[in-house]
This record gives sequence, structure tokens and C-alpha cells, in this order.
Amino acid sequence: MSSISASRRRPLFPRGPGLGLKALILSLASLGMLVVDQRSDSLLPVRDALAWVLQPVLWTAGVPSAVGSMAEHLHTRESLLEENQVLRENQLVLQARQQKLDALEMENLRLRELLSSSGQLEERVLIAEILSAAQDPYRQQIVLNKGTRDGVYKGQALIDAEGVMGQLIRVNSDTSVALLITDPEHGTPVEINRTGLRTFALGRGDGQTLSLPFLPGNADVQVGDLLVSSAIGGRFPAGYPVGRIEELRHEPGEHFMEAIARPAARLNQGRQALLVWSESFPVSEPAAPVEPTP
Amino acid sequence: MNDSRLRVFYFVTLLGALVLQVFELPYGLAVLRPLWVPLILAYWAVVTPEPSGLFAAFIMGFLLDVLLGCALGQHALGLTLMVFVVLLSRGWLTLFPVWQEAGAMVLVWGLYCFLMFWVDGATQHRADPWLQWMPVLTTSLFWPPMVALLNGLRRHSKRDPLRL
Repeated sequence: MSSISASRRRPLFPRGPGLGLKALILSLASLGMLVVDQRSDSLLPVRDALAWVLQPVLWTAGVPSAVGSMAEHLHTRESLLEENQVLRENQLVLQARQQKLDALEMENLRLRELLSSSGQLEERVLIAEILSAAQDPYRQQIVLNKGTRDGVYKGQALIDAEGVMGQLIRVNSDTSVALLITDPEHGTPVEINRTGLRTFALGRGDGQTLSLPFLPGNADVQVGDLLVSSAIGGRFPAGYPVGRIEELRHEPGEHFMEAIARPAARLNQGRQALLVWSESFPVSEPAAPVEPTP
Repeated sequence: MNDSRLRVFYFVTLLGALVLQVFELPYGLAVLRPLWVPLILAYWAVVTPEPSGLFAAFIMGFLLDVLLGCALGQHALGLTLMVFVVLLSRGWLTLFPVWQEAGAMVLVWGLYCFLMFWVDGATQHRADPWLQWMPVLTTSLFWPPMVALLNGLRRHSKRDPLRL
């Protein structure tokens, strides 16, 4: 029989103390690592280095979907012209809105000055390419092509054209990993846009919905209400759409009500996302958004 | 196949398993993805019974933890114990025809999934408790064809009288 290790000794039945002892030592080493990894960040450099080494594996795993999206690059002239037309029209509409927004922003600034609160600065953003997603169906994470070299930081908020996507949980030198808002480990501070009620939205782990637990039984929440991000916690910039309430669950006799919301961002579509800087945001801590509280 | 070529083949299969494990699949299919890395490691534990399989399992688990972004040590623990169980039981496992072997391996995949489930619970990672067991089924279904394929590749251009 050929053997993998170079030794000439080839036992047919590897038993005895050697095997059990090795298994025991390796299991204890794994358990030790688990504990250390849970309690501290000291294994982070190891993880970063290995993640860097393993990048070719991720690239290889991403090849089929890349090939699939290659087909998108092959367009007919007509479809391109058509798309161009649509984009032009869109741009016109958006430009018109932008002009209005500029005026409103100035007005807002003046009003804020009257109220002597600090003005809202323009946010710094960076477009990141989504390298891979959903390798494990139980962890809603995506890998982005921006890292510490681009100045991104752990905890940075990630949005797309429709709303908040999540935040960065690990930043390597060239890539970073973001946790999506639908992951069960993610909680997003939100505000109900209609009433200003502040609460938080937890992911439910199914990749589709968010849960707003522990709402007071008499809270003014309706199906269809828009949830926007709130600056509480300093992670997310305020005012980006997070989702819409889809269902209200109030068990008779329970003190609390639970609301189910659907994320506004298109979490499993698209190849790009926007990273938003918010920690250097002057209004994040002292002047919380001026909204009525219920 | 001589020793050095076998070793190359060994590393290629492990690398292939790693790639297949993180291969991008649509959500519905990803739930059914077989446990490629445990499958390949178990295969090698059955055909070349060497304690070094334990180290390979440990290292592969470590890499898988990094790739999947879960707690470091989770897959290392599961794979080490799984390979240990396979190495212990290969004495009687290899007596069965391959389809009965596939039946017996259900327990091994079950053990692995249970360990993953347990570590997820211990590290406060909430996952769907039912969907997590789906790979047991698909891995068992993939076991006989994978054994046939790997045996075929291994036997290719090899004059080895004693084989399994």
C-alpha cells in the first residue's frame, strides 16, 4: 500500500495510545483556540495572515459566478443604447432632485444655525466591490475589496442605493468582511420614520427579514412604516432607510409586541456597495437627530 | 502511483475540497452543499490509516474557520474528532460494501454536524437548527460516488497489489 507520510512504517490499524493522545491534544488545542478567539482579539493577526494566504481559494470559488456575469458584458448595440437612454433620463430626474436638495440643505443649515446646533457635514463615501458572498448559508457575510490601505475601519457602515446593508466586522489589508443586517448576530439601531420611535432591528438569520422585538404593546407602529437608521451607537449615519414593517405580532397577554421588517437594501444582489464614514461625524454624539420622541 | 505522486494527489484533493466548500452557490443549493472537507478527510482516513490524518484534519479545520469566518477552532475541533472516530472504526468499516459503509458514515457526518451545532450554540451564533442537518443527507449520498471516483483516480497507473 502506498502511504502519504514518508515513514516506512505503515500500520494497517493505527490504534493504541499514540492516536488517542494526538486526537486529545489536537482537540484541546482547538478548544483552547475557540476560547481565546471568543474572549480576545489576540488571534486576529493569525486570521488576517491566513485570510491573505487563502485568497486564491476564494478567487477560484468565485470564478463560476464571475464567468456567469461575463455574459452580462455581452450586449447588443440596441440594448446599450436603450440603457443609455434610460440612464440619461434617470440622471435628469436626479439632477432636478439634487438641485432641490441643495436648496433644502442650505435651508436646513440656516435653520440649524438658528437653533445653534452643529450643521450636518457632507458624508465621505467609498465604493467597494463585493468579492464574494454567502459561503455559509448560516452567516450573512460578504467580502469587499477595500481594506486598511483604503482607510476603512472596523465597524464602518455599508449601504447600497436602497438602504443600509450592514457593517464591517473584520478589516484585512486589502479586503474586509461585512456582516449584513439580516445576520442573527447583527442589531441595527433604527427609528420609525413616521413617529420617531427609537428601537433596534435584529437579523433573523433567514437572509430576508429583520425583527424588532420588545416593542411596547401600545407602540404606534403600522405595517408599511419606514425604518431609518439612527445615529445612536455612533456606527451608522442617521437617516438611511433600513427597511419596511411587514408584519406585527402581538400575542394576547404578552407585554411586548414584535414587528417583522423587510430590509430596504438589496442584500443579495449587485456587485457594489458604499462604505460610509460616520465616526468622525460631529453630530453623531452630542446632537442626536432632532426628532420628537413618543 | 508512487508515494510522491500519491502525496501530490492527496494535497490536490484537500485543496479541491476546500474550494468546493466555499464555492459560490445560490442560497437554496448552499443549504444542501455536501460537507466536502469532512468527506475527503474521511476518505483518506479510511484508505491510508495514518495518524497524520489527524494533523491534516486540524490544519484543514483551521483554514476552513478562516475561510468561513467563524470562531477559530470550530471546524478544527469537529474535523479532528471526526477523523479520530473514522480511524478508530475503519477496522470494521472497510469490511462492508460501499453502500453499507455509506450508511455507517451517516453517524460520522451526524457527529460532525452535532459538533458544529454545539460550538455554534456555545459561541452564541444562532443558526437554523433544522437546516443545519441537511448536509448529513447529501454527504451520505455523495460518499459512494466519491469513493469510486477517488479509488479510480488512485488506482490509475498503479501496480499496488494490496489495496482497499
